[in-house]
Amino acid sequence: MSFQEKSAWGSLIAIGLIAYWFFPAAFDVAGSSNDPADLLVLSIGCIIGLVIVEAVYQSIIAAKGSAESDERDALINLRAERNSGWALAIGLFWLVGHIVAMSAFDATEPMGAMLIAVWILFALTVSEFAKLASQIWYYRVDAA
Amino acid sequence: MSKTNVKNNIRTLRFQRNEMTQQQLADQVGVTRQTIVAIEKEKYSPSLEAAFKIAAALGEPLDAVFHYEL
Repeated sequence: MSFQEKSAWGSLIAIGLIAYWFFPAAFDVAGSSNDPADLLVLSIGCIIGLVIVEAVYQSIIAAKGSAESDERDALINLRAERNSGWALAIGLFWLVGHIVAMSAFDATEPMGAMLIAVWILFALTVSEFAKLASQIWYYRVDAA
Repeated sequence: MSKTNVKNNIRTLRFQRNEMTQQQLADQVGVTRQTIVAIEKEKYSPSLEAAFKIAAALGEPLDAVFHYEL
């Protein structure tokens, strides 16, 4: 397994675990609290946690082998970025459609700004997840 | 990625060159071993530059290493 593939696996697991913990808490805060500081503290805590986990993991795998990438890594990265872009576009269009539909048909309780922010973060996370999963898929298909 | 139409004799030529390993070839070409594996299995078509480097590392002209099948 190359450095790039190990790196993608590590990032996928780290993002998956942090998202699994972050989003239930964030949707809860966005639904119950009107203070944006609560969401900000939660988000900053997660970003710091993710950076620390990623830095430690990437240093460990870089120390064990070469971190160089080549033309095939670049191609796989581009294809993964394309898939990630699709995931983000679908997520954001779904959110916009949902907001428009809510205001058109059910104006009793419009979506709050904090909830919209959490959904945008969720779409960004899903797109990153799609990128990493695509990278792993392309590496595995070539290796099989 | 699916199989490409660019076929190659890299595996045979490696063994004719003192059983050159995939890692040795990768080091000479400047790519990872996994890329050499993918090229040998015809799952990845190398760039023209990488193809020339592979041919040079194997001491063969380009058309002795790679050919295109319709």
